[in-house]
Amino acid sequence: MSDEIHALAGPYVLDALDDIERAAFERHLRECEVCTADIAELRETTARLADGTWSVPPPQMKDTVLAQVSRTRQMSPSLRAPRERPHQATPARPAGRRFTAAAAALLLTVAAGVAGYLAQEQRARNAEVAADLAERRATEIQAVLAAPDAQLSGVPVDGGGRLTAVTSASLDAGVVVLADAVLPDADSAYQLWLIDDGGPVSAGVLPAGAAGDTVLVEEVGDAQMVGLTLEPAGGSTAPTDPVLATVPVT
Amino acid sequence: MRARDDRGSPRRAKHLAPAPEAPSDQASRLLHAVARGDEAAFAQLYDLVAPRVYGLARRVLRDPAQAEEVAQEVFLEVWRTATRYDPCRSSATTWVFTIAHRRAVDRVRSEQAGADRLRRVATPEPAPHDHVVEQVTARLEQEQVRRCLTELTDLQREAITLAYYAGYTYREAAQLLGVALATIKTRMRDGLARLRDCMNVEVRA
Repeated sequence: MSDEIHALAGPYVLDALDDIERAAFERHLRECEVCTADIAELRETTARLADGTWSVPPPQMKDTVLAQVSRTRQMSPSLRAPRERPHQATPARPAGRRFTAAAAALLLTVAAGVAGYLAQEQRARNAEVAADLAERRATEIQAVLAAPDAQLSGVPVDGGGRLTAVTSASLDAGVVVLADAVLPDADSAYQLWLIDDGGPVSAGVLPAGAAGDTVLVEEVGDAQMVGLTLEPAGGSTAPTDPVLATVPVT
Repeated sequence: MRARDDRGSPRRAKHLAPAPEAPSDQASRLLHAVARGDEAAFAQLYDLVAPRVYGLARRVLRDPAQAEEVAQEVFLEVWRTATRYDPCRSSATTWVFTIAHRRAVDRVRSEQAGADRLRRVATPEPAPHDHVVEQVTARLEQEQVRRCLTELTDLQREAITLAYYAGYTYREAAQLLGVALATIKTRMRDGLARLRDCMNVEVRA
């Protein structure tokens, strides 16, 4: 495990990890002093690659930025490194605690991705509705990831990529992340299915042509698995074979 | 780790002696002032790094309008979080470009998950040429980066370029280059190590 995680240092500084791997790596970084120094060096080098990209920005950009800055409050410095949240009243439960750290890191990355995605939606739709939706979704994703009973499991997807699920029985909700799957055609879409004794029920359809996304699944119920299939854009009412991956959510 | 937090170290002073103030020191000084809410310092910091923040966003996203949006987000984040910048962990410019790259990559992944990303790499374009005049110092720095990149093996260079300039994950890069995941991870890592050596040599010369 250790060597495997260290091998991610290069991809990490290049921002070439998916959300889950990044979370795992950052959790490891917090416990590994050697890595921290190593990463700092690699980062300095990586940032130099930006030197190869000079391009004069549009002239109005500076005024826009300065105007935004003049009405934006800065963050307080006192909250620096709030990651190690004390986990009081929890008896020694190494696995659970480790997961909480992972969940905290995962939360940051997933929430950032979701916020970015929703920021796009926001332009397309009614701004206020979308903002409410964004906030609600981000809050629910955060709640699932931070839940004390959250369970994490991941499986490879046939053809490539990974399907990862974080589920909380107490919240009856889950967060499912599909990452780096094979790029579907523009008129196909990945669809997620909640599978219980009664059969599969759609748990969400990804945007057509998307090879990955983060999906909040409400009402997990008695489902044992989340399955993944490729469907026509917009999704189907029943899964089309083959099932590309199933990840347990119990 | 090098003592990059004591900016007046003899090592640095020696290498960069002729400059009245090394740009990296200037950035650090300005960022500290920004952390105290100094908007004038922020404007100066903007001038210092904006061509690279915008250029990086543009390189990753290709679309000038999106690049501008992302660059604006980056500057707002720099302003908001300058209070939490930790000089022990990275130099000021590295901190800014790390934010910029992350934002650009986040945008490309959330928005361009479709086929056009594959197409962009399948037909590799030369580095985009801007119709604007580039500053002389900028060109020198670019040349150093370009020259150091050419000293890498093909696979190292392709792996780093796909990840950094095109925003691909290492899994995507491995798929595009037809190599094993373990190989791509290693090539990214040792390619960066080689770049570091190349760039350090330049500084000492």
